[in-house]
Amino acid sequence: MQNLLKILLRYSNFLVFIALEVAAFMLITFNNAYPRSSVFSTANKVVAWQHEVVSDICGYFSLRSQNELLAEENVALRNKLSALDSANTAMMHYVSAKVVQMTTGELNNYITINRGSKDGICRGQGVRNSEGVVGIVRTVGQNYSVVLPIINTRSNLSCRFAKNDYVGTLHWDGKDSRFAQLQDISTHMVVNPGDTIITSGLSPVFPEGIPVGIVENSVLKDGDSYYTIRVRLQTNFKRLKYVEVVQNAHQQELEELTDGLD
Amino acid sequence: MLVMLLQVLLFNQLQLWGVCHPYIYVLCLMMMPITLPHNADMFIGAAAGLVMDVFCNSMGVHTAACILLMFIRPYLLGLIVNDKDRLNEQISLRAVGMEAFVKYVVILVLVHHLTVFLLAAWSWSHIGFVLLETFVSSIITILLVIGYNMLKYR
Repeated sequence: MQNLLKILLRYSNFLVFIALEVAAFMLITFNNAYPRSSVFSTANKVVAWQHEVVSDICGYFSLRSQNELLAEENVALRNKLSALDSANTAMMHYVSAKVVQMTTGELNNYITINRGSKDGICRGQGVRNSEGVVGIVRTVGQNYSVVLPIINTRSNLSCRFAKNDYVGTLHWDGKDSRFAQLQDISTHMVVNPGDTIITSGLSPVFPEGIPVGIVENSVLKDGDSYYTIRVRLQTNFKRLKYVEVVQNAHQQELEELTDGLD
Repeated sequence: MLVMLLQVLLFNQLQLWGVCHPYIYVLCLMMMPITLPHNADMFIGAAAGLVMDVFCNSMGVHTAACILLMFIRPYLLGLIVNDKDRLNEQISLRAVGMEAFVKYVVILVLVHHLTVFLLAAWSWSHIGFVLLETFVSSIITILLVIGYNMLKYR
């Protein structure tokens, strides 16, 4: 017994090291699997406040280009207003939000926005801006939420071609925030550079037809039965400041229905 | 503490060429004198890492890297510093000499950055990108740490 104690004391540094590392790895794996804890993320009030102050200061430097964007959007909205299809849009509700923190250069980028459960934001809701798709809400705090953008290696988004109904999945390879990769498009379809990719509307997250990107080029390797398509994203993540959260009035019902199938 | 604040406010905003994320906050961990017990050092490392994780949205990644850094630190110092009395003061350029200090900083920063980027990627499929990211970011961090020491202990 005494010998055991001696050995334990002698290697206590190593044991503490192992114990701490195990705890850290548990944190990592737990967070990878269940990213729900908003306390230990940028959805935390104090942390988000710091990011908001920083982005407020940085915001002054991009006022001009933001104004141009807003003006463009106003024109587009006014055009749409005349052709409004009220039946389709009635169940979609948009909540505008400001980006308080985001990264674009890492493999796993995240965006923090200044809307939370108080404003009716729930996990799994879609996020877009005036240009196109941005991402999906991942963690919700009371006043802030963290969004998993399409430029995150863990993201996947169901998309389709605007010209026909072929559906594929959009992934990101972690290299360039301007491009993503569309997969699962089989080779019997003809893909041309310049084809438009839009959301498929197959999940309740996004309504059908939100712009995603434009085909830059497509590669067909020998023996592959699917294209690897490089898509130029519509959304400019480098200057993302304002976004809209898409709230589908029927999302809960749709999810309950599909959950019941498993 | 000040360096930590600087990291969060300034260096986390910095994203050069998409591959450069210098984590200069390791400076305060590396320069701590070896006066506390080794166990206590590792807990301090864990706490510092946890704070960074909260700000970087990367739960556990910086924590693991900082614990590793604090674990190997005394052994590394024992290997490359001859005069053990110097370890009771701040580990700086002046205290341990140019050659030993550069060796110490290069090894620790590489270990720390590689751990952070590997754990953040959480797969081997991006290994090339991870190595490039580690290389570029480490160079910037090392230059900043050594530059800071040169200015302060001129």
